[in-house]
Amino acid sequence: MDEKIISRVDLMKICKDVIDKGNTLLTPGAADYYVVKDISDIILDTSALPSKISHKSYVFPRTEPVLYYKRSKNDVQLIDINIDSKKIVILGAKPCDANSINIMKHLFNWDHSDEFFNKRANNFMVIGLMCSHFDEYCFCTSVRSSPVSEKGSDLFLIPVDINNYALKIITEKGKEFISPYSGYLKPGDEKNSKLITENVRQPEAAFDSSEVYEWLGENFESPKWEGVGNLCLSCAQCAFVCSVCHCFDITDEDYSYTEGRRMKNWDGCQFGNFTLHASGHNPRDIQSKRYRQRVNHKFRYYVDRFGEILCTGCGRCSRGCPVSIDIKEIVSNCNDNQKEFLK
Amino acid sequence: MNELIKHAKELLEKGEVAAVIGYRQVSEKRTKPVIITEPEETRALVFNEYCLNNLAVYLTKARIKLLGRKNNKSFKLAITAKPCDVHSIVALIQENQIDRDKIHIISFNCHGVVKDFGFDFNGDNLSSKCITCETHKPLYYDKLLGEVKETPQARDSALERIKEIERMPHNERFEFFRSEFDKCIKCYACRAVCPLCYCQRCITDKTIPCWIETSSHQRGNFAWNVIRAFHLSGRCTGCGECDRVCPADIPLSLINRKMTIEANNLFSFVSGRSLETPTLVGSFNEKDNDELFM
Amino acid sequence: MDKQNWEPKIVAFVCNWCTYTGADLAGTSRLKYPANCKLIRVMCSGSIDPVFILKAFERGADGVLVSGCHPNDCHYNAGNFHARRRWDFFHKLLDFIGIEKGRLQFSWISASEGKKFADVITKVTEDIKAMGQFTSYKKMNSEFTVDFPADLAELEEPVLQESFDKETVK
Ligand code: SF4
Ligand code: SF4
Ligand code: SF4
Ligand code: SF4
Ligand code: SF4
Repeated sequence: MDEKIISRVDLMKICKDVIDKGNTLLTPGAADYYVVKDISDIILDTSALPSKISHKSYVFPRTEPVLYYKRSKNDVQLIDINIDSKKIVILGAKPCDANSINIMKHLFNWDHSDEFFNKRANNFMVIGLMCSHFDEYCFCTSVRSSPVSEKGSDLFLIPVDINNYALKIITEKGKEFISPYSGYLKPGDEKNSKLITENVRQPEAAFDSSEVYEWLGENFESPKWEGVGNLCLSCAQCAFVCSVCHCFDITDEDYSYTEGRRMKNWDGCQFGNFTLHASGHNPRDIQSKRYRQRVNHKFRYYVDRFGEILCTGCGRCSRGCPVSIDIKEIVSNCNDNQKEFLK
Repeated sequence: MNELIKHAKELLEKGEVAAVIGYRQVSEKRTKPVIITEPEETRALVFNEYCLNNLAVYLTKARIKLLGRKNNKSFKLAITAKPCDVHSIVALIQENQIDRDKIHIISFNCHGVVKDFGFDFNGDNLSSKCITCETHKPLYYDKLLGEVKETPQARDSALERIKEIERMPHNERFEFFRSEFDKCIKCYACRAVCPLCYCQRCITDKTIPCWIETSSHQRGNFAWNVIRAFHLSGRCTGCGECDRVCPADIPLSLINRKMTIEANNLFSFVSGRSLETPTLVGSFNEKDNDELFM
Repeated sequence: MDKQNWEPKIVAFVCNWCTYTGADLAGTSRLKYPANCKLIRVMCSGSIDPVFILKAFERGADGVLVSGCHPNDCHYNAGNFHARRRWDFFHKLLDFIGIEKGRLQFSWISASEGKKFADVITKVTEDIKAMGQFTSYKKMNSEFTVDFPADLAELEEPVLQESFDKETVK
């Protein structure tokens, strides 16, 4: 792995160049990842908490047309969508968020490869930033990540002093991106940045994900689900802000009798009618079953299928939950059958 | 808080209620709802400036109502409610969602809550509903606890904001709300936390025909937010929960507040303040304002 | 479209018992009024949901008229009283979020008021003409639109139109 030193000023010059070339530059704010218009807005704060809403909408938009249609007496004609595949650079992605596209990729390339997702994902350039602050909801270290994890980043920044960053070049994509700017790079020393990353305060691991995996397999019918089912309000805020939740719904929108478009919209498993069948039967008819699905999907089914935990440990869902249901608390109370999830 | 615990424990022990819906402390500046059915567990109950949730929302949930039915007998449910949450309970009783006889209201002399978890309690961080609150003592209750304390003073910036919007010309206003609503991700958290959004099937879930597009594009978001605001007009008790939980930070309470002001101007009605007056949209008066009609 | 030739699109939701019958009377009395209003007959002004109005705007209406029986004349006794409260609110809400009062208008027209019907339609049409196209709402429609290629535009007449025609002929 290659390590360089870059000054903040030079980094901003690169950012300016990215914007001037007509590419999208994203950076995390308090509420959302937002598109940078003016580089003086860029903060690059290692001590910021994950934004309220994740950046997933840039690779998996909350709503997008997948085709247009026009029907006539005996025919339907379809028009494909050409998605614009602008390069998107995320500057200062939290280490938890940086890996989210990699995690979602499995799903979107499983039995069918989703060209919408792939086109956007391939155009993503992730510049991660080390994280130096966590709160009661963060648990990246429990889901095989950490505040200094480079997983998912193409380039990774570690602040070495007030004006300089150590820049690690992780992937080929990152190398390609940075090569035109090699004039800004000074040789770095891995020892320096290692000293910093080793001393970063990390949240203590709250649970062992393999134990959770086992427990979930054996406790599908556990009465413990009912307690959390009673409290949860079925809003699916948790799924919508999550950086790796990826359920969607397909719906047709007519412009008129003859033309319309087919939309792909976010959906969430906590909604009561998420699994409602046309017959009226609902296999997940009560909230406890829906919550069980959420935890199982994240910590068991996804692991079964793709070998990854469908959770980055960012804690967004818990921070934003209207009734403060904390997924970390629930998962870490799994193993103890004596203990309720939430007491 | 010993009084609260003692009272709740007594209720459960004597079998007067089947469950107590209350708050428990999870960290210094955060509480969480808890539903207690065992007398022993009542020790977790608290009431303080960090009890933000409006627990009345639970009273509308079928599964919580079911807790009140044991061995073919029906029991009361006890709920700890701030005076403003009592307004929601009153509105629910008025709309025939719950029975007054089936609810045991434990309320408090309240001096305000913080605007969100994690803030210190003072004038700057006072929840905006508390700034204009006129009922620091609940209007209805079965048990009143807590001592009377002074509410910190604060500026009513929400009203200033409304006035500011009203001064804008129409196209600017439209642009303002369009861009605010555009941020909506359609998580429906605003609906889930609202005690008065109790519809078994919300209009936005009815898709044949599709009145409100489920897509979260500008048009769909605009329709959803306007209809949500309209369905709560004259019914919203101003608890501010929708605004607090919106992950996109859309100022939902501005619209709710404005419509509450209008309801008061037009019909001298504020939702959830009295068990005697009928609901606003469920009733009419032959002398209602007719100016609008040609 | 240039400004001179632009004609507003107006949707009128009218109740079956009074306003619609009033429109009939206007017709049989051979009264003249602008042809911009598309009437949609509903059973009672109390059955008009605000989502109808938003839908009309979504589908490109420049203005909407809601009309029913005069107070105390409702075929269902109180439908229009309930409607009146609802519209009092709804129009305040629309006003607050930036939809001018003139875009959504209301009237009471009885079955015997053919003249009033013609006058109201004329007035609403003129008001909306003066306000111009409802571009701010229409802009939201263009978020994801596509220009259908010309060869597609020449498809045969729509299926639905046909069944619709059959129904009305019957
Ligand atoms: S955000 Fe909380 S209340 Fe809403 S569905 Fe998720 S866990 Fe339930
Ligand atoms: S489940 Fe929660 S903690 Fe895990 S990635 Fe999603 S939002 Fe973050
Ligand atoms: S609309 Fe919002 S403020 Fe009004 S009652 Fe519902 S949650 Fe409370
Ligand atoms: S938005 Fe309207 S229809 Fe939907 S739950 Fe609320 S009150 Fe009911
Ligand atoms: S809570 Fe906010 S983002 Fe979610 S649906 Fe309501 S307005 Fe939209």
